[in-house]
Amino acid sequence: MSKSLATHMSPASNSHAAMAPVMEVRGLSVVVNTAAGERNILTDIDLTVAPRSVLGIIGESGSGKTVLSRAMVNWLKPPLAITKGSVRYDGRDLLTLPAATMAGLRGREIAYIGANPTSALDPTVPVGHQILEKLRAVAPELTPQAARQRVIDTLDAVRIPSPKQRFDEYPFQFSGGMMQRAMIVDALVSNPKLLIADNITQPLDVTVAAQILRLLRDLQKDFDTSIVFVSSSLGIVSEIADDMIVLDRGHIVERQSVRGLLATPEHAYTKELIAKVPMIWASAETPPVPSSGDIVLDVRDVGKTYRVRDRKAIFAERQVRAVRGVSFTVRRGENFGIIGESGCGKSTLSRLLSCLEQPDAGQIQFEGRDIATLKGRDLLGLRRRFQLLLQDPYNAIAAHASIGRTIAEPLLIHGLGSRREIEHKVKDVMAEVGLAPALYNQLPIGLSAGQRQRVNIARALVLEPELLILDETLSSLDQVEQAKLLDLFETLQVKRGITYVYISHDLAMVRRVCARIAVMYLGRIVELADNDTMYWRSAHPYTRALLSAVPTVEAKPYRTATYLLEGEPPDPIDIPPGCSFRTRCPFAFDRCATDDPSQTIYADGNASACHLPLNSLPAPELAH
Amino acid sequence: MAFAIEFFLRRISQGVVIVILVAFVIFTLLRIVPGDPIRIILGPMASAAALEEKATELGLRDPIYVQFGRFMGQVTTGDFGRSFIRGAQGGSAGGSQDAAGYNPESRASVSGLIANALPYSLQLAALGIAFAFLVAIPIGLGAGLRAGKWPDRLGLYVSSLFVSLPNIWVGVVLIFLLSAKTGWLPAIGYQGFAYTIIPAMVLAIELSPVMIRAISVSVAANLGEVYFDVGLVRGLSRRTMVAKHVLRNAAVPLLNLFGAQMIGMLLGGLFVVEYIFSYPGIGMLTINAVFQRDFPIIQAVAILASAALVAINMLVDFASTTIDRRLKF
Repeated sequence: MSKSLATHMSPASNSHAAMAPVMEVRGLSVVVNTAAGERNILTDIDLTVAPRSVLGIIGESGSGKTVLSRAMVNWLKPPLAITKGSVRYDGRDLLTLPAATMAGLRGREIAYIGANPTSALDPTVPVGHQILEKLRAVAPELTPQAARQRVIDTLDAVRIPSPKQRFDEYPFQFSGGMMQRAMIVDALVSNPKLLIADNITQPLDVTVAAQILRLLRDLQKDFDTSIVFVSSSLGIVSEIADDMIVLDRGHIVERQSVRGLLATPEHAYTKELIAKVPMIWASAETPPVPSSGDIVLDVRDVGKTYRVRDRKAIFAERQVRAVRGVSFTVRRGENFGIIGESGCGKSTLSRLLSCLEQPDAGQIQFEGRDIATLKGRDLLGLRRRFQLLLQDPYNAIAAHASIGRTIAEPLLIHGLGSRREIEHKVKDVMAEVGLAPALYNQLPIGLSAGQRQRVNIARALVLEPELLILDETLSSLDQVEQAKLLDLFETLQVKRGITYVYISHDLAMVRRVCARIAVMYLGRIVELADNDTMYWRSAHPYTRALLSAVPTVEAKPYRTATYLLEGEPPDPIDIPPGCSFRTRCPFAFDRCATDDPSQTIYADGNASACHLPLNSLPAPELAH
Repeated sequence: MAFAIEFFLRRISQGVVIVILVAFVIFTLLRIVPGDPIRIILGPMASAAALEEKATELGLRDPIYVQFGRFMGQVTTGDFGRSFIRGAQGGSAGGSQDAAGYNPESRASVSGLIANALPYSLQLAALGIAFAFLVAIPIGLGAGLRAGKWPDRLGLYVSSLFVSLPNIWVGVVLIFLLSAKTGWLPAIGYQGFAYTIIPAMVLAIELSPVMIRAISVSVAANLGEVYFDVGLVRGLSRRTMVAKHVLRNAAVPLLNLFGAQMIGMLLGGLFVVEYIFSYPGIGMLTINAVFQRDFPIIQAVAILASAALVAINMLVDFASTTIDRRLKF
């Protein structure tokens, strides 16, 4: 961030107001009007935003934190209504301001950024043009050239690469992280005094979220803005905030400095929140050990390339190389993990593994047979033996079929058993996954996400598969539900000897359940190691960067500052020559630019694709 | 730029194939339906031998694909053949002469007939669309912007009313009210621009209900989008958001509706409306041709209509992808 930019964008210095609070909320209460009457969302909220500080607000979903952050810009819509209290800003109560005056403050002096960056802008107009439109609306005195220049400078300040070109690109050409940066630009371009950031890192990958946090911290200093940072992740808020407020069902239960809150939480709810943050390194559980059974799944040098039409050339196509030369083996009864961030090719890989698509290169062997060569009856027989479970539990279940019918469907397709046998089997499996027998004849309406995921699991299990591929299956569930299902998977494994392939971005969950783990980056496995080695002595800088960026409240062996990644993964259309990770690697050297590292296999059977010798990475700062 | 070139090259080549297929189907159907064209050309008085001789001479006894090939060869030079019935000076001449007296040169050329009628139809269609826009845009926008309020209900009532009025009945009522009763506007035939107004109103009443519904649904859906809400929090006024973003986004489904449905409705509407008002356009030409089994005219109009549909859809798709760059064609 260039200093000159920040200074020329600062308003006239207001030293007399230096210590006065930027915003004071007093006795704020919000209700929701429903058919059943009023229900309290927020009760008697008092908070103060100090100048040049970051106030963290933490709460679980349903605690009212989004309502609070919207009430702070007087932006609540029916059925929500403010019943009492005040939001004082600059000597005025925002709640009593005329609508036009309030609209004049919103987006000018008080900026708001939400959790949904990819749909926050008009999809048909270039991003830069929309930010320019906003700047021109709030600062009509700027000439068009000056305004445009300021937008480009601010895009540069949030480290969006080649901001001049990006200015003319459309929202769908931006990744989630880039889009969130653009929204930060949009908020800061008018140089607001207060920025309300409502769960802004929620949809982002951990390494990108870590970048956004650091960026926001830097910008807060440079732009002299106070920030209210709302989040449901304690690990994230504690990275950025000075002071913290804990919100529980509409009440503030605790307020402390970050350090104080983590060290000496006072309220029971705060303690519970802290205890709920999954421990990756400090956990007492011993991770699962690799299985020594026979090889069930043998993936050899698999690749998949998609073709997309090129808009800039006539009759040209561009190749999206989604999966490149992936090899690994999974043994019977093992939990194998595949981790990576969005766009790394893990979902394409899951489609290849479950035979929904054919690989362009290499082969996938299931119990010694190449699944690509199977057709018709053989393929159907194979499908019985491995099943894919996906993330979304809602769209995977037909809304008009009874739960029993949904679970029986695979048996009917495969023609397994008479009606009575099928009903018997379905009821058995429902009991096994913890679905009440009464649900057999009911429609899935009103089932919770966890219950729906159980229906999906039952539907897969009824075929008695040997291999389950879990593609982010537990990602949409809360911690408690997730833990219950993991226990269920474990029980099933002991009972039936099922092999699991977990595909996930959740490093804490993978740490808990997987014996061996592959880390994917840009369509390739960069490191493949057993659980302990991966988390304590990782051999690849990308793995370390991922682990250093996980929002936790415990000490980590990898310091964020050492491994923080710059920028975003390259486009899988234009993969750079040499090592594909070198554009973001803090340890890249000359050889990485020309030479693509192949996997080095170490004595313990672990492997990583990096030119750096194992001992040349900084030593982990925490011993096992 | 590269995208535009590729788009048009691709779509024009696809379009040509479609038009040729449509032409072939129509050409074939018209030749396998009962009724020998040569009987129509020469009339009921001609002898069987004369019919056969003339038919062979005109190529009507060749296999269909040979006839079709010959026909398409002529079409590429802009020649759609000659009417069976209409004389070069206008008026019908069919069935009034024997084999010896028939000379194809004495019949009007189809392309000439179409070229005469087309400007009238284009004028009527343009005015009809303009009237439809005039009614549908304000009502549809109001309904979309004030969903659930009285403008929304107005939109629903107006479109329900218009959609349930048969265009023949509307035509007769308007002729009675605006022409016969009050004498404000002329109604039958064509002697000047004023003759287009009442037929255009009938067309507009037919077109506008679909437009009203489409506009209001599309605008209301965009008001519910996240970007609209966020835009207001970002500091943009509601008016700016509607004028610059909502209308732009709402235009895409409307364009598609226009390409897919409206042009078809318009063509169908033209046939009926021109017939009611004896309006000398393509519709009138075609309907008379159907009654007289004047196959060359029918097939030429059908081919031109399919070409027009293909061309308009191509332009509509290009406009859509220019507005919304996520769309792929």
